[in-house]
Amino acid sequence: MKFVDEFRDAELAQAMAGEILNAVEPGRHYKLMEVCGGHTHSIYKYGVDDLLPANVELVHGPGCPVCVIPMGRVDDGIALAHEPNVIFTCFGDMLRVPGSEGTLQDAKAQGADVRMVYSPLDALRIARENPEREVVFFAIGFETTAPSTALTLKRAKAEGISNFSCMCSHVTIVPPLRALLDSPDLRLDGFIGPGHVSTVVGARPFEFIPADYGKPLVVAGFEPLDLLQAIRMILHQLKDGRCEVENQYKRVVPYEGNLAALKVLSEVFELRPHFEWRGLGFISQSALKLSEAYADMDAELRWTVPGVRVADPKACQCGEVLKGVIKPYECKVFGTACTPERPIGTCMVSPEGACAAYYNYGRFSREELAV
Amino acid sequence: MRVVSLDEADGLVQCTDAEGATELVDPALVGHVVAGDAVLVHAGVALARLAPEAVA
Repeated sequence: MKFVDEFRDAELAQAMAGEILNAVEPGRHYKLMEVCGGHTHSIYKYGVDDLLPANVELVHGPGCPVCVIPMGRVDDGIALAHEPNVIFTCFGDMLRVPGSEGTLQDAKAQGADVRMVYSPLDALRIARENPEREVVFFAIGFETTAPSTALTLKRAKAEGISNFSCMCSHVTIVPPLRALLDSPDLRLDGFIGPGHVSTVVGARPFEFIPADYGKPLVVAGFEPLDLLQAIRMILHQLKDGRCEVENQYKRVVPYEGNLAALKVLSEVFELRPHFEWRGLGFISQSALKLSEAYADMDAELRWTVPGVRVADPKACQCGEVLKGVIKPYECKVFGTACTPERPIGTCMVSPEGACAAYYNYGRFSREELAV
Repeated sequence: MRVVSLDEADGLVQCTDAEGATELVDPALVGHVVAGDAVLVHAGVALARLAPEAVA
């Protein structure tokens, strides 16, 4: 298939790996963060890391939408799901994210009407088909997913569907990156920029990273050759003493983003003053809520949610994984008490979570990586 | 995904992926699409257009 096969060519990948080897300085250790959970998944699915020299280390960032949802937020969703007459809809991964007293899947088993949907449009269809019920959509995701929620809310308003509302937990990518860069825990040499978020916001919002922090960033696609090329571009910047935002994913990402999507986002959403991120704590202006014009469709205003902050389980080290401070297999419960079947932490739930990617593709320890 | 039909009354288009799975997609953010266009779809919305001849 065009746009896929040519980006999985094994010979080209080997050639690219050779160019990467030529671009690194012996004796220097490079730490590159892939921001997006989709990239983390691709790296381990295709074995991209196996093609890199030992001194190029990939660090996994906070860009997995499920992983960053805190436990208290799951509790809020479960509370709404238990409200009388409510059909609570969410993406499949969210069903398995643990709250303080179980998951949405557990709530469903206890009798709540919780349904998995593939898109907000599916949730709206359920609302159309059940006019006597209240349908709530648990909206999560970065700027990639937020346009879908926004268009659906606009559609609901235009159609006069009054039994549809949204529990908005959309987050934005720039504030957590700034928080990571301000953190003393982490020393990074460059970033593989998120591909699909950039389809919406463009590459321009990342210009603060080279300008303020002196790190290069290359927006990348999700096929193995996309990732290898982006890594090569970052290493060439470092070798040449350049530091800028580059766009490897031009076939999808315009530098200015999708202006129609940005316009819809600005109509439907406004920034929350602050929002709690799992493992990262409260980050200012890092999430979205419904704007005044759409406040009547805000599920958190139709009902009361607990809104209680819940500390992560002590054994769980998702926060350190999300900040790239530890590798998944360095977590005390990785692959033992915490598995994709019975996750303790969010990073083990979604396929985009670093822990799930390591577990599913057999990266159980550093020794096995070396083999 | 590839756009296969445009005849949905509510402005949605039918799209299919490489494995043959189909999905109703809102094309509002990529402008006018025609059958055969390849679009990047996320959560039921086309976010970007790839090229007219895109999917073999």
